[in-house]
Amino acid sequence: MTSTEAVTGVPFTLNGKDLEADSGELLIDAAERHGVHIPRFCYHPRMKPVGMCRMCLVEVDTGRGPALQPSCMLPVTPEMKVETESEATKEAQDGVLEFLLANHPLDCPVCDKGGECPLQDNAYAFGPGETRFVEEKRHYEKPIPISDLVHLDRERCILCDRCTRFASEVAGDSLIHFIDRGSQTQVNTFPDHPFASYFSGNTVQICPVGALTSAPYRFKARPWDLDAVESTAAVDTTGARVVLQSSQDKLVRVVGVDSDAVNWSWLSDKDRFSYGANNSTERITEPQIKSGGSRKPARWGDALKQAAGALRGPADRIAAIGGSRMSLESQYAWSKLLKGVLGTDHVNAQLGDGLPAALVLGVDRATIAEACEPGGVIVLVGPDPKEEVPTLFLRLRHALVEDGASLIELTPRATSLSNLADVRLAATPGTAGQVMAALADGRLDDEVGTVASAELAKAHELLTSGRPVTMVFGRANLAESARYVADAVGALRRLVPEARFLPALRRGNVHGALEMGLAPGFLPGGIRNRRTNFGRWPSTPEFEGKDTDNVLRGCLNGDFDTVILLGADPLGDFPDQKLAAEALASVTNIISVDTFLNESSALADVILPAAMWGEYDGTFCNMERRLSPMRAKVTAPGRCRPDWMIAAELSLAIGPDLGFVTLDELQAELSSSAGSFTDVSWDEVASADDGPVLSTDRNWDLEFGDPADLPTGPGYGFRLIVDRKMWDMGTTTQQATGLGGLAQNAAIRLAPADVQLMELVGHEVVAIDQGDFQVEVPFVSDPAVIPRTAWMPARLPGFDARQLVAAGRSITQVRLHLPDRDVTTGSSGSAEGSGANG
Amino acid sequence: MGYLDGFPVTFKKIFEGVTTRQYRGGRDATTEDKAPKPERLHGRHVLNRYEDGMEKCIGCELCAGVCPAKCIYVRGADNPPDDPKSPGERYGYVYEINYLRCIHCDLCVEACPTEAITETKLFEFSFTNRDDAIYTKDELLVGDDGMPQHMPWEDWRPGEDEFTSGWMRATAPGGKAAFEGKVGWSGELGYGVRAPEAGQTAVEIEGTEGSSSSGDHDHDHDDSHGHGGGHH
Repeated sequence: MTSTEAVTGVPFTLNGKDLEADSGELLIDAAERHGVHIPRFCYHPRMKPVGMCRMCLVEVDTGRGPALQPSCMLPVTPEMKVETESEATKEAQDGVLEFLLANHPLDCPVCDKGGECPLQDNAYAFGPGETRFVEEKRHYEKPIPISDLVHLDRERCILCDRCTRFASEVAGDSLIHFIDRGSQTQVNTFPDHPFASYFSGNTVQICPVGALTSAPYRFKARPWDLDAVESTAAVDTTGARVVLQSSQDKLVRVVGVDSDAVNWSWLSDKDRFSYGANNSTERITEPQIKSGGSRKPARWGDALKQAAGALRGPADRIAAIGGSRMSLESQYAWSKLLKGVLGTDHVNAQLGDGLPAALVLGVDRATIAEACEPGGVIVLVGPDPKEEVPTLFLRLRHALVEDGASLIELTPRATSLSNLADVRLAATPGTAGQVMAALADGRLDDEVGTVASAELAKAHELLTSGRPVTMVFGRANLAESARYVADAVGALRRLVPEARFLPALRRGNVHGALEMGLAPGFLPGGIRNRRTNFGRWPSTPEFEGKDTDNVLRGCLNGDFDTVILLGADPLGDFPDQKLAAEALASVTNIISVDTFLNESSALADVILPAAMWGEYDGTFCNMERRLSPMRAKVTAPGRCRPDWMIAAELSLAIGPDLGFVTLDELQAELSSSAGSFTDVSWDEVASADDGPVLSTDRNWDLEFGDPADLPTGPGYGFRLIVDRKMWDMGTTTQQATGLGGLAQNAAIRLAPADVQLMELVGHEVVAIDQGDFQVEVPFVSDPAVIPRTAWMPARLPGFDARQLVAAGRSITQVRLHLPDRDVTTGSSGSAEGSGANG
Repeated sequence: MGYLDGFPVTFKKIFEGVTTRQYRGGRDATTEDKAPKPERLHGRHVLNRYEDGMEKCIGCELCAGVCPAKCIYVRGADNPPDDPKSPGERYGYVYEINYLRCIHCDLCVEACPTEAITETKLFEFSFTNRDDAIYTKDELLVGDDGMPQHMPWEDWRPGEDEFTSGWMRATAPGGKAAFEGKVGWSGELGYGVRAPEAGQTAVEIEGTEGSSSSGDHDHDHDDSHGHGGGHH
């Protein structure tokens, strides 16, 4: 095994049969591959083996006589002789199980794991059948909630180390650990620190007993009354593969599926627990029409008629916002209705928090596996992956920790990956493009903004080392223009022409929406608007549409009569809250296709109730352009319908027939119209383990121009960073069982140096003064923040940072001062002034 | 005779008297006594309580899982900490049996880990609408005296609500005779700890010796093992 080339085929003997294992393959895996299942508790194929539980002991003879060895710790060596069913093995299995059951309570009937429990199964298959242990079992307090989502029952724990290993090895936040020693060893959290991990649900899924159970699923069903279907999680753009499980036509659980290409069986808690929103009693279940200031339930026919009436005006006075919630098929149907039938191009799936469609569609796309290639270089110009694309975060983290990948981080604040970054380019808002341009031009001797030249040199060396380079790009800051991200992408393309790009956008199926033309200037398949006839469409838009920013601004000027909200909530979601509110208030007609009554749909004149994820069949397109199925598991409540059916019905109410009445017909038309979908086999999408990736030969010659200059503000001092947390006041989070309380109260985060300088120590709040707008908010001293910047996540309870953002500005600055005193700290001079007063 | 050819049989039967009879002990029978029912008769179910009044059902759904007719619907829930319904974490929040589907096979009783569900000897309950056929937890649960509740459409006779449980555990679940006669079950409200029924070992030994003095209830066993062999 000294040669570098992999030695395939290590000959070994398993239960008398001569077989071959791969080089370095663990015995437990090799046996499994050859159809011999060795029982195990602690071994998990996606984590490092530890040999804690001893369940996988088998008799191994390597020439020195047979001996019992844990097969999960033992790579197969040549001429190894293995017996998995010998007397000695059986005796060992009996003994291990008898020991494990000595203290394991027999409360299987009330245990959520009962019926799908590896300990139950192994006890039946390999156990002694009777116990000799008659003493009292060890007792602990029955389930203690270690977080809002996870309960821990220490009596049931068999100390397999799976959850603790997951927390430290995979998720990187070791919030649960073994404590105490000997027979008193138990898993627990640190005192007063809840298991507040974004990935805590995975520990429930991998727990081989019922020690960790999930709070939302607690006592909801037993395994034998679950009905299941495989689907794709749609809460972020990673598109993790999941199984939806229902009982009595209600979703009760979501479980991760091991997709080698995407999520490796892990899910974020948002993926796992968002299903609760489906069961919310606050769903919109029937069409509603507003008449005389109040909303009234209506029949579908009447609601469609009224909506159709509002859409009869000129095409350029109609705009549509949203659509990233829907399936690819629904997005096609709406695209056809809006662009082909109505003829408007003011169509946007992104709400001012994304990136220009041409940028996302046109760069050479990487797959997640390519981005995480061992030995590769990852450039992060985007949001904290843990907050916005958490499943991708786990893959990136694994690449950095285990696979020797390097990370260059070019973000306005330190992220969850910063401690793993080789180079952190701490660029304040508005400077990312210039920093990357300096790298591209080889200007490494001078600092750029807040980035030191030494860091630039290190980054340049990594990027030009010849290692494969992938840029993960997205919107790190809603309070600065998307322009700077585009600049950074353009500059990296100049420096590393063969670099690949992985867009880390946040919104569910937004990549499907962009592929289906729910963006100004595009038709399905990434085709530019310019052509006059497209597929079987009656027409195509005759003008270039506006993006959401400009649509909302146009509403203020009276440019629009009708706005269609496709599951979009601009009031709750658009970065500039004030603009959204004023814009929607000045439109004549609002048609909302939504699942919940939110701030925006409450303003609508017509509400058309849509089915939610898990209630319709369709296709998901993830950040890699990988297509995977979204499947219906439960019936939509009331009179909700899938979005594509609403589009088809609405079109009929207007006049033209969209031309499809089944999903199959829709998919056939989609394939024939949208160029890049010609080769897509919908059967493959439905059945493949990982799903096909759309061909990515779309390396467009994008016009980037020169990077924008470093912005110079009027001297307010603090450049604002506004981004999103996983848990916020978003509708799905608030409606799902157990998630609503996870959103933390809003606080503005400042660099410790600034807190010192402003003499804020001892205070709890800081005053924000925007001239016409003053507010006092709590602050936190946070070393993740670069001095002279202020970071505040949006849409949190208490104060919504979106009130500070003005759309269209290149960067946003805020003036901060001590509470109850009018002291400006925009410059060091005034900071001294505040000191004198303090 | 034409169309009257078929009638001789009819006329003959008219005068032969009625064959249909009230079964002994039925609602309109002349005598109030019903035929004695075997101890193991499978009738309408009850949900039992412990002697302190706690419900035995923990909502584990094993009965629903094993039911071949899919007539049981159970949902569990967290026990309210200040007013626990059953010992432990979980109790049966919803419990329904649809008697239009139930075939009284008793598998639910065998599956129950807490002896919560057992069967009485009541089999005469002629509901007249579907809602009445679905017994809810309130109707199945024994009252404060431990006795089954009597629905208006049920024809209860004395003794039918006794021996609803305990008897089936004359041996260990594994069938080992060593456990014979030992109480392996919990006490129950209104009855306390029920005594085990007569063991099978004694019966079997007597049976092979050709004696038939043992109780009626185990005759089947005797026939297949003892007498059956003797006759050939």
